[in-house]
Amino acid sequence: MGEHASKIEQWVEKSPIPMDIYALNFWILIIFTLAEVAAVFLVPEEQKYIVWSILIGVGVIKGYGIAAFFMHLAGDPRPYLWSFVFPFIFVVLMLWGIGLSNPSGITGLPEWCTPFSGTYATSNP
Amino acid sequence: MSGGHAHVENSIWMRSLLMAGIFLTIGVVAYGVLVGGIAGFGEDQGLNGDYHDAKDAYYAAKESGVTGEAYDELHHEYVDTHLNYLTFAVAGNTILVMMIVYSVFIGFGGFVNSLKPDADHGDHDDHGHHGSSSPIVLAFGVMLFMIGFPRFAHGAEGMLYGLEFELMDMAMSTTGLVFVVLGIANWWQEDLPFDGHGEQIATATEDMVPFRGQHIRKVGIWVFLMSEVMVFASFFSSYLRMRTGWCTDWAIKSGVEACAGVPEGSVVTASDLIRGDLATLAPGAINTFALIISSYTIVLALKAAKNTNWEVSSNPLMAKLMPTRKAAVRNYLIATLALGSLFIVLKLIEWSHLIAEGFTLATQQGSIFYIATGAHGLHVFIGLLVMLYLVFKADTVGFDEENGQGIEYFGLYWHFVDLAWVVIFPAFYLY
Repeated sequence: MGEHASKIEQWVEKSPIPMDIYALNFWILIIFTLAEVAAVFLVPEEQKYIVWSILIGVGVIKGYGIAAFFMHLAGDPRPYLWSFVFPFIFVVLMLWGIGLSNPSGITGLPEWCTPFSGTYATSNP
Repeated sequence: MSGGHAHVENSIWMRSLLMAGIFLTIGVVAYGVLVGGIAGFGEDQGLNGDYHDAKDAYYAAKESGVTGEAYDELHHEYVDTHLNYLTFAVAGNTILVMMIVYSVFIGFGGFVNSLKPDADHGDHDDHGHHGSSSPIVLAFGVMLFMIGFPRFAHGAEGMLYGLEFELMDMAMSTTGLVFVVLGIANWWQEDLPFDGHGEQIATATEDMVPFRGQHIRKVGIWVFLMSEVMVFASFFSSYLRMRTGWCTDWAIKSGVEACAGVPEGSVVTASDLIRGDLATLAPGAINTFALIISSYTIVLALKAAKNTNWEVSSNPLMAKLMPTRKAAVRNYLIATLALGSLFIVLKLIEWSHLIAEGFTLATQQGSIFYIATGAHGLHVFIGLLVMLYLVFKADTVGFDEENGQGIEYFGLYWHFVDLAWVVIFPAFYLY
């Protein structure tokens, strides 16, 4: 359990919702997972950017729900949150590295991902 | 482990043997029903018989030059019966192997602890803080195992397929495994009697020092999770890097410029084989729900352990399942264990189907899929072994508001495994 109840947890406790934050979070995760699976079946294959947006959006919401409430980061002291977030700097660097190292990836990625485009050598020029 | 200790009777170790027996029984019954009964041992029994009949009919038609709808029907029949057979055979074998591992783990843990004199288990006045060497022993064992793993795999392959190999190939990894077992056994001995008193706390004179006043074990788990983020990030970024270079059907249909002129079906990913049909997506989707539910049940176990005002539920079924707080904690942990075990069984069923369809490690797509999802499955399995210990402790010593943090710390790992799946499932199964 978190050491302190977060604002959201306090809000849920005071609200007329007949469940605690864990039960509410659980049902939100279940509903969003259903939405994720449904998106793949319902959105036509050609609309890949819509599917990507849904998958990424749902992933962010589910990730937040698990980390904030099940892992208690919303109520725990901030250093725990920083510990968890810190390695994501390297995750971003690795994803950015796709733009630097994958020739075919460069053409499909936005400009902010390839700031030195054209000024470095690749294995497949 | 830190100072406070509850009294642990030697007799409770007998419970480990009882639990080992229960696991073995479950494994043997599941194997008997699924492999022996439904899948069928013999040529003429169960799905195995159907599979052989369909296979014979298909090859006979192929040789006699049958074409058109009749041939397609026989081919479909052959594939369907093969996959049906695989589903039950793999499920039965996996459950049996898992239950044997659970039995050995819990039985060995009980045996090692029973060797320790009662005086060592019981109350003593040592309430000072002292650390544990077990994590270092365990980590050393894992390191030796990993260093020796390539030669170990070579030796194991030789042993399994009757090829030439040297026994010394397996020495390094086997030594590592011995250290791993010693580390786990010692850790178990130290933690089981721990009642929560004397939990080590980070101290510092400066206010600005992070984690000041926090439990050191909790900080340790978070530092461990930091390293785990990097492990899964490396799999994920490798996959994205490769994926952006593949001309999948999806990329071709979406008009990706680099894939112009590439025929469809050139690159087949796991998601191409999985996401198109509800039946093929089912194992992955059910696993997603299993992990989410298991995350919730472990939270409920912690909540019950920490709840000093715990009351029997007004719901008759829940009241029967959870008659006491101790039983509630244990049963929520057992539910978590069952859901995690279901995850592994479904994972292997799914893998067996993919391999049967020719999606193997031999391709880039197969390699990254099996390595990433396999690493995740391994994390789930290691978590299940720790969960076994928690179930054992919940059943014997018990968890309460004083020592319930043990569930919390393990829960952090378990939730992280769920979190990793939140990324893996859409990336490898849906995208």
